[in-house]
Amino acid sequence: MREKHFFDRDVAWCPGCGNFAILKTFDKALEAAGIDRKKLVLVSGIGQAAKLPHYTQANVFNGLHGRALPAAVGIKLANHELEVVITSGDGDMYGEGGNHFLHNVRRNVGVKAFVHNNQVYGLTKGQASPTSEMGFVTKVQTHGVLSPPFNPLAVAIVEDCSFVARSFAGDMEHLEEMMVAALQHKGGFALLDILQPCPTFNKQNTFKWYRDRVRRIDDSHDPFDRAKALELASKWADEIPIGIVYRHERPSFESLLPVLKQGALVGSRAERPGAAF
Amino acid sequence: MEVNIRVAGAAGQGVETTGDLLVEAFAGMGIHVFSTQSYMSRIRGGINWYDVRIADEELFSGREKAEVLVALTPEALEWLRGEVAEGGLILFNGSDGAGVVGIEFEKVAKEVGGSAIMGNVVAGAAVLTALGYEVGPLEEQLRERFGKKGEAVVEGNVKCARKGAELAWEQVGKVKGPPGGGAPRGICSGNEAVGLAAATAGVKFVSSYPMTPSTGVFTFLAKVADEYGIVVEQAEDEIAAVNMVCGATYAGVPAMTTTSGGGFALMVEGVSLAGMLELPAFIFLGQRPGPATGLPTRTGQQDLKFALNAGHGEFPRAIYAPGTPEQAYDLTRRGLETAHKFQTPVILMSDQFLADVRKNCAGLDTSYRPIDRHLLENPPADYVRYAVTEDGVSPRAAPGSGAFVVVDSDEHTEDGHMTEDLEARVRLQDKRMRKLEGMRAEALPPEWYGPEGAEEVLVAWGSTYGPCREAVDRLNADGGSAAMVHFAQVWPLEAEAVRETLGKGRRVTVVEGNATGQFASVLREVGALGECELMLRYDGRPFTGEEIARRMRS
Repeated sequence: MREKHFFDRDVAWCPGCGNFAILKTFDKALEAAGIDRKKLVLVSGIGQAAKLPHYTQANVFNGLHGRALPAAVGIKLANHELEVVITSGDGDMYGEGGNHFLHNVRRNVGVKAFVHNNQVYGLTKGQASPTSEMGFVTKVQTHGVLSPPFNPLAVAIVEDCSFVARSFAGDMEHLEEMMVAALQHKGGFALLDILQPCPTFNKQNTFKWYRDRVRRIDDSHDPFDRAKALELASKWADEIPIGIVYRHERPSFESLLPVLKQGALVGSRAERPGAAF
Repeated sequence: MEVNIRVAGAAGQGVETTGDLLVEAFAGMGIHVFSTQSYMSRIRGGINWYDVRIADEELFSGREKAEVLVALTPEALEWLRGEVAEGGLILFNGSDGAGVVGIEFEKVAKEVGGSAIMGNVVAGAAVLTALGYEVGPLEEQLRERFGKKGEAVVEGNVKCARKGAELAWEQVGKVKGPPGGGAPRGICSGNEAVGLAAATAGVKFVSSYPMTPSTGVFTFLAKVADEYGIVVEQAEDEIAAVNMVCGATYAGVPAMTTTSGGGFALMVEGVSLAGMLELPAFIFLGQRPGPATGLPTRTGQQDLKFALNAGHGEFPRAIYAPGTPEQAYDLTRRGLETAHKFQTPVILMSDQFLADVRKNCAGLDTSYRPIDRHLLENPPADYVRYAVTEDGVSPRAAPGSGAFVVVDSDEHTEDGHMTEDLEARVRLQDKRMRKLEGMRAEALPPEWYGPEGAEEVLVAWGSTYGPCREAVDRLNADGGSAAMVHFAQVWPLEAEAVRETLGKGRRVTVVEGNATGQFASVLREVGALGECELMLRYDGRPFTGEEIARRMRS
C-alpha cells in the first residue's frame, strides 16, 4: 500500500509550483486538526490543484471540471459524518464552477473549499482565469484581460458565508493555521482562498509579487464585522490581507434537515412506514 | 360499454380539479378509468382539457371523441364541440343554447353558499348525474378530502354537489355510464408510480431542477421525504443535480435525479462521469417534444437515441421505458437494482402522456423494501475500488467503511488513481464494458400481446404500449390478425430473440412518437429488424388506439 507521503507518486506539477507547499502544509494541517484520514474525502474537479488528492492519502472523488462542489455536497449529505474537503483551483471553482460557488455559499453545507488561486490556467497552458488581473496578456487574451477580476472573498461575504479566509502558499505557517481553522469550523461551508504563484505561466504575480504584498490580518479585526470584512476583501493592489476575513454564525444546511437528525443517510436503512397513498 | 368525458377550460379555472374529482369518484365506484391531459404552457388562460375515459373493462389509451363535454369557457365550447360524438352531451358554463345545456357552475356554487372554486364540484356532480350515477359516493369523497378544512367547507361542497346533481336531472339517460364494481379502487399516475417505487426501494437522496413533465416525480418524492427518510434538494441547475447524485451514490446512498430533455442535455457530462466512476446513478427522463424548449407541456418520444448515446466516451448503461403506471413502478425498482448490481447509470424514460395518465392500479406495494446496494460491509485493508473481475463488476465499498475509496474521472488504475498507462487503460475499459454482457443477459424480453400467429405486428416502446394494445384489440375485433410486441427495456437488447419473432414474414409496423423512427433504427442497428413500416406522430399529442387501428387500415 502507498505511503501517505506524496513523493512516491509520479507528480505532474512543475518544479517550483506553489502546490508542493500547499500539499505539504495540508498534510501537516490534517495531523494538527486531528482528522482521521479514513473518514476524510478529498473532492476535486480538474486542474493542477485538483490533482492534489492523488498525492496524499484519503478517500478521493476526483470528478469533473467545475463540479467538485455539487459532488462534495452530495457526499456530505449522504454521510455527514465524513470530513469533506475540496481541493480546487481558481478556474475550477470560480470559473467553470461559478454557479455552484454562488449557490453553495448560500446553501452552507459543511464542506471546506481550499482554492489554490494562481490567477492563471495552468493545465491548459496559460490562459486567463476569472481572477487574472486586467491587462494580463496570454496567448488567448492577446490584448490583455479586458474584464476586472472576480473577487471570491467579497462575493462570499456578501452571501454571508460562514467562514472566509485567505492565505499564501509562501507562508506555510500561516497557511497551516488557516487550514486548521477551516477544518475545525463547524458552522457550514468554509472558503479558504490560497494565493499561489505559478512559475510557469504567470510571470506577473510571482512569488516575490505576492510576498511583497501579503499582510497578516492582526488581532484587532473582528471577523464578525461584515463591513470591515468587505473592506479587507477589497484590498488588493498594494496590500493583500491574509487571515480569517469573515465569519458568520448560521446553521449548517445539514443541521436544518429533519431527516438527518436520525443519523447519516448512508446508514438509514431501517423500516419505514408505507406512504399514505 | 364506455364513455369519454372531456373537461375543458382556461388554465387556472379548475379543469384539473374537476378532472381529478371525476377520476377519483369513478375509481371509488370501481369503474375502470383512464385519464389524459392536454394543456398549454401557461398558468392562466388558453385552452386546457382533461379527458376521463370510463368503461366496464380495463383501459389503456385515450380517445379522440368525447360523449360528454364540459366546457368552462365559450372558447373551449367553440374549439371542442366538433369532437363531441353524435348523441353526446355538452354542459356549458353559461346559458342554454342549441344542443348545449347551460349551467353556470361558479354562479350556482355561490348561490348555494359555496365559493366560486366549488363550481368544479357542481360540474363534477352534474356529469355523474347525467351519466346515471348517484352523487352519494362523491359526497363521501368530498367529506374525506375537505374534512381537515372544517365543517363549513365540507357542507359548502356537499351543497354544490347536490345542486349540480339537481340541475342535471333532466339529462339523465342521454349518455349512460358503465356499471361499476369490478375495477381496482386505487388510482395512480405514471409520475406517482415512479416516485412511490423509488421511495419504497430505498432512494434516500434526490436532487433535481424542475422541468415539465418530470416535476411530478420530484414533488411526489418531496411530499413523502420525511416519511421515507429522503433528502430532497432543488439544485441550482441540472449539472449540479447530477453531480450531487454522483457524490451521494459514491458515498453509498441510493440516489436519483428527475429531468426532461433540455435538463438532461445539461447532465450529459455527469452521465459519463457515472459511467467512468461506476456509480449507480438513476435518472428519470420525462420526454417532451424538442428541439430546444420545443413544446413544454406536450408529449413525444424523441430522446431515445439521445439517451442511448448521452455522454462522451463509451460505457455501459441500461434504459427502461415503461408503458403503464404499473410498469413505471416495477421498472423504477428494477432500474435501481440494475444500477446497483452493475454500478453504472440507468435511465428510466417516460413522457408527458404517461406522466399524467391516471388509471386504476391494483396493489402497488407501499411497503418499504430497500434494494440491495451491493456494498461491502467490511472491505479488506488492501481494498482497491476497481479490481478487475471476470464479469467486470468490482466489489464496491463506501468511504468511511474502513477502506480508502478512490475514484477518478481520469482513466485510472485498479486503485482508482489517475494513470496514463495505456495498458491499464485497455484493461479498465474492457472491465467496464464487460458489465454490458451481464446486463444484456438480464435484459427484459419484449412483451407479446395478441395471437401468436398474427400477421401484423405493431412494435412499441415506452408509453405507446396502451394505444398499441387497444389498436390490436380493435383490429382483431374487426376480423384482423394483429399483435403487439412492446419493449419496456430498450437497452441493452437481446437481438437474436427479437429477430426471430419479427422475421416470420409478418407485416411489421414500428409505432413511435417521433419524426425519424428512432427505435426502429436502434433495432436495425443491432440486427433485430429487417423490413418494416413506420407509424410516427410528433405533433405533441399522444397516439390513441383508434388512430393506430385506422392508420393500419388506410
